[in-house]
Amino acid sequence: MDAFARFTNQTQGRDRLFRAIQYTCMLLRYLLEPKADREKVVMKLKKLESSVSTGRKWFRLGNVVHAVQATKQSVHVSELVPRFCLTIANLNRVIYFVCDTILWVRSVGLISDINKEKWRKLAARHYYYSLLLNIIRDVYEISLQMEHVAQEKAKREKSMPQNHLGPCVADEETEWLQSFLLLLFRSLRKHPPLLLDTVKNLCDILNPLDQLDIYKSNSGVIGLGGLLSSIIGMITVAYPQMKLRT
Amino acid sequence: MDAWVRFSAQSQARERLCRAAQYACSLLGHALQKHGASPELQKQIRQLEGHLSLGRKLLRLGNSADALESAKRAVHLSDVVLRFCITVSHLNRALYFACDNVLWAGKAGLAPLVDQEKWAQRSFRYYLFSLIMNLSRDAYEIRLLMEQESSACGRRPKGSAGGTLGGSEAGGVAGVGTPGGSLPHLALQLRLRVLLLARVLQGHPPLLLDVVKNTCDLFIPLDKLGLWRCGPGVVGLCGLVSSILSILTLLCPWLRLKP
Repeated sequence: MDAFARFTNQTQGRDRLFRAIQYTCMLLRYLLEPKADREKVVMKLKKLESSVSTGRKWFRLGNVVHAVQATKQSVHVSELVPRFCLTIANLNRVIYFVCDTILWVRSVGLISDINKEKWRKLAARHYYYSLLLNIIRDVYEISLQMEHVAQEKAKREKSMPQNHLGPCVADEETEWLQSFLLLLFRSLRKHPPLLLDTVKNLCDILNPLDQLDIYKSNSGVIGLGGLLSSIIGMITVAYPQMKLRT
Repeated sequence: MDAWVRFSAQSQARERLCRAAQYACSLLGHALQKHGASPELQKQIRQLEGHLSLGRKLLRLGNSADALESAKRAVHLSDVVLRFCITVSHLNRALYFACDNVLWAGKAGLAPLVDQEKWAQRSFRYYLFSLIMNLSRDAYEIRLLMEQESSACGRRPKGSAGGTLGGSEAGGVAGVGTPGGSLPHLALQLRLRVLLLARVLQGHPPLLLDVVKNTCDLFIPLDKLGLWRCGPGVVGLCGLVSSILSILTLLCPWLRLKP
């Protein structure tokens, strides 16, 4: 219970937990909707999802400042590609949070003549750009890691005797895809934060892709993706060493 | 900017900010009503207050576990009175949060059969018990400190300057065993006690903050349970003051009263 209390004391921890609940409801709704006698349960799931989603807005208020600070930090990253990607991604996050705050002002009724649809689309678009740039940065880091692992392997092979037996898949040129995947698997296994971050961004991008009509999926897929990314978010809050360092 | 990031990373901090905003809205709504503002504006303020209240209920989901954890820690305190007061206070807080969660479930539509009024009254009752326990603990601490202070003044040499209480005066206060006597004598004793109290509170800011916060908080359940109707203006002002004080204790951890 102590660990739970410490986890929920952090805003991010609590927010990820509620996000997980929200997307679980979405997933369950998708699974239960076709069933005939589950209308009451589906209705309750919908109400829970919408109240948790509304309540989570309170967690996001003021995150503009977080995003601005993250932008300032990412300007000082040493390598060029991550610096560029992260800075632009964080700038997009700033715009996303500004749009989100405007939508919140509309939802509590402080200013009524705000075009909800326009601002929602704008928020989704900038969230999508920020996720895209994060994925590009992840791909760059993966490629660096793969290069590193391949070089290490080559060094090890040079030092070993030439007539070693045993299957060496990477040597067969026809099995290029298999060797590529093996290298990818080996690099990601050595670097769990990178794996978690890549999976999280890929899961997260399903929602804006659907909202912007770029790639329409169903609420089950989005719910599953959201749930997975929330679980990864909770892991990075509970175990900070699993967070990808800039 | 860095300070805001660190502050808002605690979920309790955000909840306190929402509380301050909610009571500010309540106070503002009362002021606008008195000065005859437009019904449109009043409706907006009330709507915002409602949103804040519901949002805070969601932010507080899971606080029962936190309160139970604090109660578990308080059981190991050495002083008997403190142990009792703090543990019972945390247990009542845990029950208050549990009732609050039930109210949220009712408002969110998950449990439509929840009797909102009954559960609201229940939750305020637990909140009141917890505040009474907190104030008892504060009174006990004040009494201990006053005894310490008066005995310390008694032990100081009679010729010491700079203190509002001379050795003989404090000795007189501490050694009061004869009740009755004339009215001026009682008035003098009362004045000395009040001065001693002021000195003790001045020397211990966390205790002063805690006393003021609990006293302000006390008006809210007293009003909601109908025990002492003070009106929405007083409730709003007290709620706002106590929220600001608790935000202060979050910003400056040395101002928090350590058990």
